[in-house]
Amino acid sequence: MRAGLRHYFQGYTSAAPLATFRVAFGLLVLASVGRFWAKGWIAELYLKPRFFFSYYGSEWIKPLGPATYGLFGLCALCALLVALGWWYRTAAVGLFLSFTYIELMDKSTYLNHYYFVSLAAFLLMLLPAGRYFSVDAYRDPARHRHQVPRWTVDALRLLVGIVYCYAGLAKLNSDWLLQAMPLRIWLPAKNDLWLIGPLFNYPWVAYVFSWFGAFYDLTVVFFLLYRPTRPWAYATVVVFHGLTAVLFPIGMFPYVMIVAALVYFPASAHEQVLARLRSWWGRSPVAAPAERPLVYAPRTRQALLLVLGVFFAVQLLLPFRYLLYPHELFWTEEGYRFSWRVMLMEKMGQVQFKVVDGRTGRAQLVNNDEHLSVLQEKMMSTQPDMLVQFAHYLRGYYARRGVHDPKVYADAYVSLNGRLGKSFIDPTVDLAQAADDLRPKAWILPFDDEISGL
Amino acid sequence: MKKTVLFALLLLLTTVGIFSCQKSTGSDAPAPADTSLDRKALLTQWADSLVKPGYQRFNDKLSALKTKTTAFTAAPTTASLLDARQAWQAAYLEWQKVELFEFGPAESVSLRNHFNIYPADVTGINRNITTGTYDFEVATAIPQQGFPTLDYLLNGLATSDAAIVQQYVASANHRRYLTDVVAKMDQTFGTVYGQWIGSYRDTFINNAGTDASSSLSRVINAYSLYFERYLRAGKVGIPAGTMSGTPRPEKIEAYYLKGALPLQLATTAHTTVQQFFNGRTGRPSLKSYLDALGAKDSRTGQGLASIINTQFGVSAQQLSSLGPDLYTTITARNADAVTSYNEMQKAVRLIKVDMTSALGITVTYVDNDGD
Repeated sequence: MRAGLRHYFQGYTSAAPLATFRVAFGLLVLASVGRFWAKGWIAELYLKPRFFFSYYGSEWIKPLGPATYGLFGLCALCALLVALGWWYRTAAVGLFLSFTYIELMDKSTYLNHYYFVSLAAFLLMLLPAGRYFSVDAYRDPARHRHQVPRWTVDALRLLVGIVYCYAGLAKLNSDWLLQAMPLRIWLPAKNDLWLIGPLFNYPWVAYVFSWFGAFYDLTVVFFLLYRPTRPWAYATVVVFHGLTAVLFPIGMFPYVMIVAALVYFPASAHEQVLARLRSWWGRSPVAAPAERPLVYAPRTRQALLLVLGVFFAVQLLLPFRYLLYPHELFWTEEGYRFSWRVMLMEKMGQVQFKVVDGRTGRAQLVNNDEHLSVLQEKMMSTQPDMLVQFAHYLRGYYARRGVHDPKVYADAYVSLNGRLGKSFIDPTVDLAQAADDLRPKAWILPFDDEISGL
Repeated sequence: MKKTVLFALLLLLTTVGIFSCQKSTGSDAPAPADTSLDRKALLTQWADSLVKPGYQRFNDKLSALKTKTTAFTAAPTTASLLDARQAWQAAYLEWQKVELFEFGPAESVSLRNHFNIYPADVTGINRNITTGTYDFEVATAIPQQGFPTLDYLLNGLATSDAAIVQQYVASANHRRYLTDVVAKMDQTFGTVYGQWIGSYRDTFINNAGTDASSSLSRVINAYSLYFERYLRAGKVGIPAGTMSGTPRPEKIEAYYLKGALPLQLATTAHTTVQQFFNGRTGRPSLKSYLDALGAKDSRTGQGLASIINTQFGVSAQQLSSLGPDLYTTITARNADAVTSYNEMQKAVRLIKVDMTSALGITVTYVDNDGD
């Protein structure tokens, strides 16, 4: 076993899969940023609102005003440089930092695939993806390496594998499997889709989609790893994600996964693709560079393996942190993010805040939309950590406007996966005094139902 | 191996098939017929049986108002004032039946801003009358036009009808302002109605998806916003002081006329909201669509449409108990007004949260991977 492991960590493989991943990933992030910009979301989401929901522990990360455009520009530039493999290491660090900063600016824009992009960018900072089929290697052939340690390629495969498997595990719950929720709500809303739309009116179709979705997420990685099933599995990847792109407003996620799943193809396939790209360019390296494998200095190698080990240990454990909280995960959302829980809930809410003057007892109601964007209000109304953040903001806002010692109460109403809405948080608790931290929130009212499963 | 995969898939599908058959023979809602989940049919019903006829009836009342105010400004007498006031009341009541259609053409011209934002800005109105220069399109002019302004001009200008008439006899500026306010309403509404009679109807019914820009999404958005902000808060909540902590009865609709009209306007609006939900028997409506979806509270199995209708009933009854004079009730029996607001709030949540969720409508354009 030990010998097997040692043997594995000394193995080498072609650098081509890293290179194609680098190119495809860079271009995809570039396209994402361009799309985000073109849709006017930078202004709408990061410039217009007066208040932003920061993450616990990173309250200093905030939009930069008009300079936010510069931040997106920097991110796009780094993505392009990463794709080209030009100033690769610097560009990869820049990409990770700028993209992650953008994602941490406001919780209400949290998306699992943005989290995936951040993680993949983190890996690209460490992995030797700029040594092959890159401008760097072209300009300085001494940097060229045709072979890299096998574990560098497998690190990407492992990350993608974790995403799929955990997304599949998250679907093993009674709402998804036994009630076909939320697909049972979402599919009929798409019944005008060409050809298959009318099928969505039937509940059994939602069951088929739910069960197939769970089976797919749990197993596709293994079918992709196994040579005889790989082409079929990849075809399923394209069809499955293509369908989700048509059905749901999930932006770039399907394309990210379609591209990411390419890492499961063997080096030879990647080399063929890159060779074809080169021939389109009409430019092959003047003199074929020496075939040299990338050999790390022992310390560098050790450090890299250690960082990757910690990274993946965190990745494997983080999604289970919800077990540390006492109540229903879907209801309280304590430990919900960063866990590959994708498309699992149809959750909607409405919240009415009331600010009471601590001295006079005079109460007034808050118009959320005077402070928040439509997206922020929608996201906040179902997520307790955001409710308490907004309450703290209101405390400051009304204190500045002459309300003495403002007390902030919220009357929130939330519906989850087709259950009739009910009161979400205790309306008698002064949220201005409630702690905004990671401890369980005692003021979340009981769910009064059970969702069993993972 | 390929066979193994196919076999596995087949096995899965069979399991699912058996499973779902078992479910549907149980207590589950019956599988819906295709037609009842036809959003285009629903939109067509709304366009042809609610919006266009509603606008037509309102247009008639608005024309009558224009005729009567023209007659009044031409020859101000107590009789012509009463005629104009009568026509204003009738048009105001009819307006309650169409104000909720603030989507499409009405939304793009901000029809409500031109028709029914109150309380009226009396200082601004008087300044406009004195200076004789005003632009009804600027934001500050919103409470200086529409029905609330007519309320002031026809009912609140002086303490007696004779004195009001005298004001119009004496002042050309007053006559001109009244004429201009009505003309602006007529012109603004004309563009909206014209588009519905014209090509917008087809645009509306053909945008039959559920994304944030779809007709259904725009309608539901307008519908719940109207109920929440302009009926629940505007007509009852704000005057009753639920927002500010102190009753502000002077903020009621038709404040200058008072009497039975303010409550009548509110109950008309409430009935309109209910009727919009239920439609006509056998015709597509929100109710029939929700029923076809099988939308129900999965905790209790109770149908969502019937839960909504029950709450509508409670809320309508509490609202109608605020009579006969809303202005007096808000001060004399404030708690009743607050209760009415609270009952409407319960209905608002059913509409805004439970119904919207069940319909699977997207409320923002921004990417979303599942709440």
